[in-house]
Amino acid sequence: MKISKNSLAGFSLALICMLFLPFLLRAEEAREYIAIRKQGAGRIAVVLDRTAAKSGKESEWARSIDGTIRSGLDFTGIFNLLPAPMNMRSMPGGPLNFGALNSVGAEIYTGGTMTKQSGQVNLNMEVYDALSGKQLMKKQYSGAETQLRSMGLRFCVDLVELLTGNKCLLFGSKISFVSTKSGFKEIYMCDFDGQNVVQLTNTRSISLTPAVSPDGNYIAWTDYTSGRPDLYIRNLATKATASVGKPGVSIDPSWRNGSNELATTLSFEGDQEIYLVRPNGTISRRLTFSRGIDVSPSFSPDGSKMAFVSQRSGMPQIFVQDLQGGAARRLTFSGNYNTQPSWSPGGDKIVYSSLQKNGEINIFIVNADGSGLLQLTRGARDNESPSWSPDGRMIAFMSNRQGRKKLFVMNADGSNQRALFQMDGDQQQPSWSIVR
Amino acid sequence: MSNSTLKNLGRTLIIPSVFMLGACCAEKAVEAPPPPPPPVAAAPIVSPMADVNFGYDSSEIGPAAEDQMKSNAAWLAANPARGAVLEGHCDERGTSEYNMALGERRANMAKDYLVRLGVDPTRLQTVSFGEEQPLDPGHTEDAWAKNRRVHFAEK
Repeated sequence: MKISKNSLAGFSLALICMLFLPFLLRAEEAREYIAIRKQGAGRIAVVLDRTAAKSGKESEWARSIDGTIRSGLDFTGIFNLLPAPMNMRSMPGGPLNFGALNSVGAEIYTGGTMTKQSGQVNLNMEVYDALSGKQLMKKQYSGAETQLRSMGLRFCVDLVELLTGNKCLLFGSKISFVSTKSGFKEIYMCDFDGQNVVQLTNTRSISLTPAVSPDGNYIAWTDYTSGRPDLYIRNLATKATASVGKPGVSIDPSWRNGSNELATTLSFEGDQEIYLVRPNGTISRRLTFSRGIDVSPSFSPDGSKMAFVSQRSGMPQIFVQDLQGGAARRLTFSGNYNTQPSWSPGGDKIVYSSLQKNGEINIFIVNADGSGLLQLTRGARDNESPSWSPDGRMIAFMSNRQGRKKLFVMNADGSNQRALFQMDGDQQQPSWSIVR
Repeated sequence: MSNSTLKNLGRTLIIPSVFMLGACCAEKAVEAPPPPPPPVAAAPIVSPMADVNFGYDSSEIGPAAEDQMKSNAAWLAANPARGAVLEGHCDERGTSEYNMALGERRANMAKDYLVRLGVDPTRLQTVSFGEEQPLDPGHTEDAWAKNRRVHFAEK
């Protein structure tokens, strides 16, 4: 039967429209990637294929990188990692069967091969849009055998940036924290997922509240090596360390975005007030002028405003102050003990902890203007020291819900609360940052 | 090492040392040795100045505390060559950064009170330990009440 050109053209047009109509109808806030998202799907459905490798050592490396990629993508909370369908390839090494991928709901396929070449490990990765069959990305990652994790994480960065259209700050980020593992409270640092824990101080004293500068160059903390709580600022590359060295307390540092200064509470003038301090330990200027405790600063991402805790209304509450001047505005009115504010990287939210009437300490989140208060933890004993991931998607915090103090992570909406890693002793005061 | 660390170290060494000293000095007997004496807890090392306690989230010197302050001031008056490090402490409730500041306010209140009672301020130092060094590691009202204190360490 002869099909007329017109009807063929019409049929093709209809087919194309059917393919792209959902694309046109998607909600405005849908992420910027070119595949067609399923209606109502919150997460991106991905099939991660096993990285192909010849044998022996290379297979081992391939499994290791696959593990890194799988747990890295899983950690983000934005992917739904689907098992590979049985008939994904008609034969081993053969072309992909996109129909099979579609039938299990996959939107994205990733896979690669690994080869060894003159001492270098080469990982060749490909990413496909499962619906259209179009290749979205093809890239090679090379490195030494000791850099497998780093190579896997570099692919994770590229995949997330490809599919969300946003810069990915997660996989290179670090969490500094306090642990009593050695028998003393010391400062440690680990990767975003709790791996590669490194001990940074060996004070054999009491070390507290680490904070890394936004440029990733400095870490500040308080310790008792001088006999009283003094503030130390160390250049992470050179290890050169300065201290504030004033009488009284020098505690609870927090860096100001857009400047190279940190805010900290000093009491050398007779009252606990917040001051800006330079990396060399000298004072830049005083920020609060209110009798009573002022502590725990946290800056907006543009550095123009500071959230902090003040006793000026009686019990500790969170206030917001514009650094250009003007009175501090009270942020928290629910509950009578609100402390430990942390301003989101997006600038729109402030997360904090609240000591409740029933004795629990729980984490709450509120819009920067004070509206939209939400409780994120409940019925889980003490949950303190919330700290935003650099991409603003997750919050690290301390919880003793399982007995001892441990580091936990959750999504910014309070979902998926889980322990970060297993480590001896108590862990607390996490500070999540980018480190160069 | 801070004064309180030295004191804690001293405390942990004194008790077994006293025990061993006693054992070494026991006389040898020809007949069957007597059964070992039951262990006697060595008397704790008591600072001549006792702790002053505080109400929850408060740095005010209450009536009960006033008497102890006067007693501590009297000791300092009687020992003009000595001084004191006033350590401010908190119970474990609340959050640690705020408690660090609260501990200091307690220590400073205690110092101001001593000064009003006539003690020369240059003999007094203050330091806050926040909730970092509880006297009683328990999680009861009793333990918390003991931990909300200013401890007067001799110097």
